[in-house]
Amino acid sequence: MAKSPENIAIDQLDKDQMKTFSDFLMSYNRLSEMCFTDCVRDFTSRDVKENEEKCSLNCMEKYLKMNQRVSQRFQEFQMIANENALAMVKKTGN
Amino acid sequence: MDMSQISPADQAKVQLMQEMEIEMMSDLYNRMTNVCHKKCIPPRYSESELGKGEMVCIDRCVAKYLDIHEKIGKKLTAMSMQDEELMKKMSS
Repeated sequence: MAKSPENIAIDQLDKDQMKTFSDFLMSYNRLSEMCFTDCVRDFTSRDVKENEEKCSLNCMEKYLKMNQRVSQRFQEFQMIANENALAMVKKTGN
Repeated sequence: MDMSQISPADQAKVQLMQEMEIEMMSDLYNRMTNVCHKKCIPPRYSESELGKGEMVCIDRCVAKYLDIHEKIGKKLTAMSMQDEELMKKMSS
């Protein structure tokens, strides 16, 4: 059966949502691994120590803040690159 | 761009290329974030705020990473173009 345009649009939406969800899961796992590696190095007891927990939570919060900053800078660079490309097109077009 | 003049097969190709580009950009972004985290944030997490020095480091790291990315891209295209010309000369 041929798909109607609406169905294709829904498929696309689903695909985007799935991608966002899988990206989230991936970054969750990476964050856990990273903060565990950096914060937990003592295995003489089974319990998570208070400082280990604090360190891990700080690690996560800091990473998110860093990600925010990187994303801001990245967007700025992309905007400048787009403007330059547009200027080039205008220049060669005339 | 006027899509009505392009054949469906070409339209699919263009869409695939766009998807590949988006994928490539998000891969670039993830790699850059990881590298700059490794280089700028020392693995001591006594607090959750970014320090001033860390912020400056991140800004510079992003700028430099994208600069290097562009430079390598330019060189890579130049080299592959040179290669192609050489191949053409060899075959003719």
